[in-house]
Amino acid sequence: MQRWTSQAMALPPRTSWQRADLEFEGVEHDGASFVMHIFLNNPDADAATPRTAEQRYAGYLTVFAHGDCWGDVGHCDIPEPVSAFDRRPPHPLVPFDATLEITEPLQALSETTGPEGTGEITVTVLAFNEADETDGVLRFKELTLLTYA
Amino acid sequence: MSITARPAPNAAPARLKVRKNIDSLTAQELADFRRAVKQALALTDKRGFDYFAGWHGVPLGWCQHHDPLFLPWHRAYLYWLELALQSQVPGVTLPWWDWSKASAIPSAYSSPQANGAENVLAKARINVLNTAHKPGWPTETSRAPGHAPQVPGPPYQQEWANAMKATNYTDFSQRIWSVHDTVHVWMGGTMAQVDWAAYDPIFFAHHANVDRAWRIWQTAHPGANPPAGILDESLQTDPAMKVRATLDVHQLGYEYAGTQSTVAGSA
Repeated sequence: MQRWTSQAMALPPRTSWQRADLEFEGVEHDGASFVMHIFLNNPDADAATPRTAEQRYAGYLTVFAHGDCWGDVGHCDIPEPVSAFDRRPPHPLVPFDATLEITEPLQALSETTGPEGTGEITVTVLAFNEADETDGVLRFKELTLLTYA
Repeated sequence: MSITARPAPNAAPARLKVRKNIDSLTAQELADFRRAVKQALALTDKRGFDYFAGWHGVPLGWCQHHDPLFLPWHRAYLYWLELALQSQVPGVTLPWWDWSKASAIPSAYSSPQANGAENVLAKARINVLNTAHKPGWPTETSRAPGHAPQVPGPPYQQEWANAMKATNYTDFSQRIWSVHDTVHVWMGGTMAQVDWAAYDPIFFAHHANVDRAWRIWQTAHPGANPPAGILDESLQTDPAMKVRATLDVHQLGYEYAGTQSTVAGSA
């Protein structure tokens, strides 16, 4: 199991939003498919942690990924456009953004942390490949907590 | 259900084909569908099942995932494959597997045998057209539903309902592709790998349900189209199809089975 925990993030004042999303930006999907379980302020969460409100479980995201590269050398490298007239579709392995709505779990967390509260996001990851090797499967550019008034 | 489409001006009215829940097919309909798949599996040219399977992963890799083209591309994909199957057995349509209600793979796709023969919907050999088989490539499809307890299993009623609550295309697309990903990963085996998933006949029952979800959501949100900037993009299929052409299933000649009751108004 891979586990990743974010730095502490400032939580917006509870009265300022109606909906909250976690956005994992630039998720790589060039290896094994995997599932991510997301917890709020529970850095010790692991694969055995119950996925309950008491454990501040926020939800899951599953990534249907491509698996090992099967082409020739360079097949899975994401190329730059060769010119301004390059209208070929994007490479299939271009990273994507994965969004999880966490309105209710964040509301519950905000009620315990107070107006100056911070939150850590912990993600447990399980990958599905022949070797069941999970370390390094979750790779992404940044995580954003988005709220909507 | 009987629905009449309005195709091009001056053309004769065309009767829509109706896609049905796999569990609702008559014995004859299921036998016809199996026959169409079996005959398509036997073809090694552009009419065959393997040619279409190769669009999604090895060797062509044309599929679109995790972006706004996900739904239009797969709608076009199913459209072209369904026509190829109808060329084998006229009248067959792609059935759907409603994983928002069913808790397991439908028996039509899981039973090893059907009518005294091997069930062609349960497993398929993988024959990558015009490409030499490479070491490590699977030779037949595989599944391991529920192989990992960490992956939530069906029915995905809550995920479906959450998608249906979306009020714009982008939210709907993201939510439905998310549960779509979960179904693939829960299935395990080759279904859990983008490059090989479409060689499994159940792939198309899964995606017919995704497409049905879009159709239902579209009906509830008329005019909620994909972003205007992609409507004239050409989807990579053979032949190509513009995103705009995928928006109306009636223009593609099909509808999903259901019920509709209409009464006259007071005018």
